[in-house]
Amino acid sequence: MVLTTLNETEGVIAELPFWEFDPGMALEILYILVLAFILVKVETFVFRKISEIAGTRRIAPTMLIPLLKIAIYAIAAYFIIAAVLQPSLSQLVAFSGLFGAALGFGLKDIFADIIGGIVIAFERPYRIGDKISVMGTYGEVQDIGLRATRIVTPDDSLVSIPNFSVFNEATASANAGKTEMMVVIDLFVDSESDAVAAMDILRDAVVTSKYVYISSSCPYTILLEDFPFYKRIRAKAYVNDLRSEFEFCSEVTRRAWIAMQREGIRPPRFPAHIPDVSPD
Amino acid sequence: MEDEALVPDEKEEFVLFEEEINRIQEAIDSFAEGEFSHIALVGEPFAGQHLIMGTIRDQNPDIASYIPFFNVIKGKEAITSTYGTKEIILMDRCHFLALRQIGGFAMLDAFLDMISLSDKMFVTSWNSFTWSYLRAVKGIDKFFPVVIEVPKLDSKTLMEAVLSHYEGDIEFIDDTEQPEEQPLVAMKTVPVNLPFGYTLNIPWPWVNLNHRPAENHGETQPDIEKVVFDKITRIAKGNYGVGLRIWERSLDYPKIRLSKIPDLPCSLDLNIKEAFLLYIVLSMESISFSDLSEIAGPDIDVEQTLYRLTSHGLVEQEKGYYRVNPETLNCVIAYLKRIRMVW
Repeated sequence: MVLTTLNETEGVIAELPFWEFDPGMALEILYILVLAFILVKVETFVFRKISEIAGTRRIAPTMLIPLLKIAIYAIAAYFIIAAVLQPSLSQLVAFSGLFGAALGFGLKDIFADIIGGIVIAFERPYRIGDKISVMGTYGEVQDIGLRATRIVTPDDSLVSIPNFSVFNEATASANAGKTEMMVVIDLFVDSESDAVAAMDILRDAVVTSKYVYISSSCPYTILLEDFPFYKRIRAKAYVNDLRSEFEFCSEVTRRAWIAMQREGIRPPRFPAHIPDVSPD
Repeated sequence: MEDEALVPDEKEEFVLFEEEINRIQEAIDSFAEGEFSHIALVGEPFAGQHLIMGTIRDQNPDIASYIPFFNVIKGKEAITSTYGTKEIILMDRCHFLALRQIGGFAMLDAFLDMISLSDKMFVTSWNSFTWSYLRAVKGIDKFFPVVIEVPKLDSKTLMEAVLSHYEGDIEFIDDTEQPEEQPLVAMKTVPVNLPFGYTLNIPWPWVNLNHRPAENHGETQPDIEKVVFDKITRIAKGNYGVGLRIWERSLDYPKIRLSKIPDLPCSLDLNIKEAFLLYIVLSMESISFSDLSEIAGPDIDVEQTLYRLTSHGLVEQEKGYYRVNPETLNCVIAYLKRIRMVW
């Protein structure tokens, strides 16, 4: 029975007009591919420009980039198949079956990445412009391609993450499509220093920063935690633009330490006597 | 045909911000009857809050002390020792109580402590950008049960306010060419050159961004006074001081020509330090160089940055005080909101 079906499929495929492939058709395919490529570049350029003009709402327009990319390539693929094969419905179904089997055996990783790209485009676990952490890499999403997502790390390295990783890796988005992002800043002070004064200084340093954004939905917090040889003052606040994450952290830390030193608040010191906790 | 509704009634004396003045006066009258609530009057730079405070001062000379601030407040005595015995304290430009720097809220905290304990009534005026910052950071709105925002003016009110400064007639002249009206949306074809000598004409929808519907459908010419003040109000976005400045710059007394009212372009690209210094000038309205340097801190070279802001026409200096150029105010606000420097 299975043999009969395969023979029938082979018959249908044999009827496909592969022999009609000529130089004119090659040119047509080339036109389609070049047009699709140009359209993808143009739409990416246009939406990136729009997003930069949009300021704090810049992430929303970039959501359309991967969706349109997929749509353009899908339409281009359809036109190429239609041009080359001019298939009837039964031929198209049969060809799709064979094509799917070929993908399943030989190109399954690439196919999985493309499916991953489609899932990312529609489900949006992250978007272009987001700061994400995936597979141990942290950075800003530069592009969501059909096969891979490109991330720029803080040290300006471009890392390509296969889109398939969305299925089996945890992805953390620090800003979830918004421009503001929470930043955690830790300062460590000597146990004998005035921790309350240190908290006041860190609070002022945070709320007067050039980079801070405070609202009812983006509040700030200052926390104190005691450790055996030091105290940790932790500030949680939102930076107004996630691209300024590190500048925000650095500016607050620097200004806070200058003010703390003026107030006699010291960084932790190495303890003079470390208690002996060995079993002997 | 003249629009009679737009002509100020000469029989009645025009009072700008009459509603806001009445609200404050009612609160002051209620205080005399035992009701008690501090008032915050909040407005953009040049919007007219100081005009309102001045009117309230003039209406209540016997019961109100007027304390305007012009510089950053550095000692508690400045906010505690000048009240005298009057029951109503009018404090103008209270944004000088807080500095955006470490330790910069001490005077504001002292002021809030004082009004929390005082049995006097405080009517205060604030810059709206400082107010929204202090509301987010210090919850300042909780200390002022009554918050009155200085409203944006419509074209008619701005016209009444501006013309009330002049006794003689102003001649309004429409010297602009009336362009032929183009449709809002039209189809055009764009030729696209393909390889091997092919050309493809692609139909393309075209949107006329400068389209303005004909107001009177060609039946009558619009009132030129209305057109002039509509344009000024649109550029000033209803800000009284900005509107007045544009009017004064465009007026060649006793004539004003429509073509002389400038359509101000708005395109800014500043670095973070320039933007922050511009924010400080905006939120303080008018600030001396020494105060500006103190708030900016050692991070910012104030002289160089001020030079760049001044040369861009964003900031101007008057009698040693720096302020945002009124004509660029709305552009500055839009830019600082876009980069989220103001909230």
